[in-house]
Amino acid sequence: MRANFPVRLGPAEDALIAQLKAAGADAAAERITVAGLPTRRVESYHYTDLKTLLRAIPPLATAANEASAPALRIPGAYNLMIANGAIQNAATAPAGVIVGKAEGGVLTTRDDMLVHINGALAKEALTLTLENSVDPVIQVERRIEGEAAHVADALKIFVADDASATIVETFSGSDAAHVGNHATYLSVGKNAVVTHITIDLSARAVSHFATNEYQLADGAKLRTLVIHAGAGLARTQVFPRMAGAEAHADLTGLNLVADGQHADITMEALHAVPHTSSQPLFKSIVRGRAKAVVQGKLVVARDAQKTDAKFMHQGLMLSDEAEILSKPELEIYADDVVCGHGSTCGMIDEDSLFYLMSRGVPRAEAETMLVRGFIAELFDPIEDDELNEALQGIVDGWLMGAK
Amino acid sequence: MTTPVLEIRNLHARIDEREILKGVNLIIPPGEVHAIMGRNGSGKSTLSYVLAGKEDYEITEGEILLNGENILELEPDERAAAGLFLAFQYPIEIPGVATMTFLKAALNAQRKARGEAELTTPDFMRAVKEAGAQLNIGNDMLKRPLNVGFSGGEKKRAEIMQMALLKPSLAVLDETDSGLDIDALQVVSKGVNALRDGQRSMLVITHYQRLLNHIVPDVVHVFSDGKIVESGDKDLALKLEAKGYASYGGEAA
Repeated sequence: MRANFPVRLGPAEDALIAQLKAAGADAAAERITVAGLPTRRVESYHYTDLKTLLRAIPPLATAANEASAPALRIPGAYNLMIANGAIQNAATAPAGVIVGKAEGGVLTTRDDMLVHINGALAKEALTLTLENSVDPVIQVERRIEGEAAHVADALKIFVADDASATIVETFSGSDAAHVGNHATYLSVGKNAVVTHITIDLSARAVSHFATNEYQLADGAKLRTLVIHAGAGLARTQVFPRMAGAEAHADLTGLNLVADGQHADITMEALHAVPHTSSQPLFKSIVRGRAKAVVQGKLVVARDAQKTDAKFMHQGLMLSDEAEILSKPELEIYADDVVCGHGSTCGMIDEDSLFYLMSRGVPRAEAETMLVRGFIAELFDPIEDDELNEALQGIVDGWLMGAK
Repeated sequence: MTTPVLEIRNLHARIDEREILKGVNLIIPPGEVHAIMGRNGSGKSTLSYVLAGKEDYEITEGEILLNGENILELEPDERAAAGLFLAFQYPIEIPGVATMTFLKAALNAQRKARGEAELTTPDFMRAVKEAGAQLNIGNDMLKRPLNVGFSGGEKKRAEIMQMALLKPSLAVLDETDSGLDIDALQVVSKGVNALRDGQRSMLVITHYQRLLNHIVPDVVHVFSDGKIVESGDKDLALKLEAKGYASYGGEAA
């Protein structure tokens, strides 16, 4: 059935529709046929107009023949890989980690094009069940190798009650113009303590999309960190659901963008029950003519009294052409909550720079110190030293590219 | 005659079209402590910023010689490496930068600029400990982000500790007494006096004579309307305290 007011479809949409139809996902294909890719008129894509930004969809990925070097080495980490959508599991899992496979479609259905496409195209999901606390960092490398390819992959993680774990996902691969659509579903058990870090280190030609959905049980403590430091176009969607009393989430993220890049972190945190809290804190650093977007929505359900949530986005512009867009939203149905949002944006503080230089620190080094200082709040809570150092290395590498 | 540590010749500076320094002349020989006193808005703090190389000011005339070298074309960090230190009236809070990290970066950057080897970590720790002990600065303060959450007294003590660590040939102290209670003033003054070694020179900028009871100057200059209008020995400060600045003309800020 064609819509009454047909949308003019571009080559990216035509390719997508064909791929979805071939996968038997007629509903998803129909959705795109009717509405096209989301434009700025779709509120949640207001600053990331996919119809304009996503000009082509490459063919669906075939198995990878070669692999590029690991994008990030975390000494002592337990490694798993999903390459071109296929799960590779070579290392022996640490005690209490059960590795398996499941059907794709790990995300809860919602009105979002990226979620629909992932659900339709991700054939299998890597599953990790953590039965108890896991000491080594668990690193899941998600790669797209070879010729330009469209990849939809999925990861589903269950962390048992009272367990603790640190999970890092890295996104990387060859230099071709890939489109990645990655999904992660993470369930945090009662009183479990989990850190989940996703880092985009893809090549500039890549369009990187990721959706991270979280479910928090009673007393669960979650810390998330999204880092965009690679793809030319990146959007990570963060959808946590505080579903148990005393659940708390520190939701953090960092957009590092330079000339021509566009990075978007879109968060929608749902406080579903009484007595939950969240602390979303995002930072964007932009140099050259580039764009960083952070959208943060706090949703408080009608009976989720005593919710305590504060969203913050801070931007640092290192050039006159830098663009930082911030959209905080509150949607509160309960009447006894403490919720807030804030957003700031500025350049490097001249007085701080002068102070550091007056003590002998050269300008470039002083600027680096100030940028690191700006980010410190995000990295300081990451207690694993090797991991912390690896993250710092990403920022240093990015800063060095600036000179 | 030995080369003065600081020589300022007919210095004129402006900010946004407004002339603030109107012909400053000053010579500080090695080892001497000079005080500059003047009312608010007379240009004292501007002089300290111009010496340290703050970008906001335009130098329209004159020269600043540090140990005989003109430093006007130098960046602030190069001036620091050449031996200049400015203790700020309001030290800047820098979140996310640990005090210790900053001290090491500053010290090693200066050593590098002078062609000296970087300090090893144990040597650096020892130097910081020594400098800190005199000023009651312990490890907990050094671990905190630079100046963040420091009390007024802690900030000033931290400034003097940096000065002790960086060993400048010229220290400029801009209103170091402001915001200090009498106990803190004594600790800070003791720290400053410990750095008087017959070679190092100091320029102490202050409103009040009070500080000069603790840091006794060799020469006192009166600053009014952008220049030095009178110079004398330490008794000049007492005279000023009694009579005020009114006789020097200009308007109270």
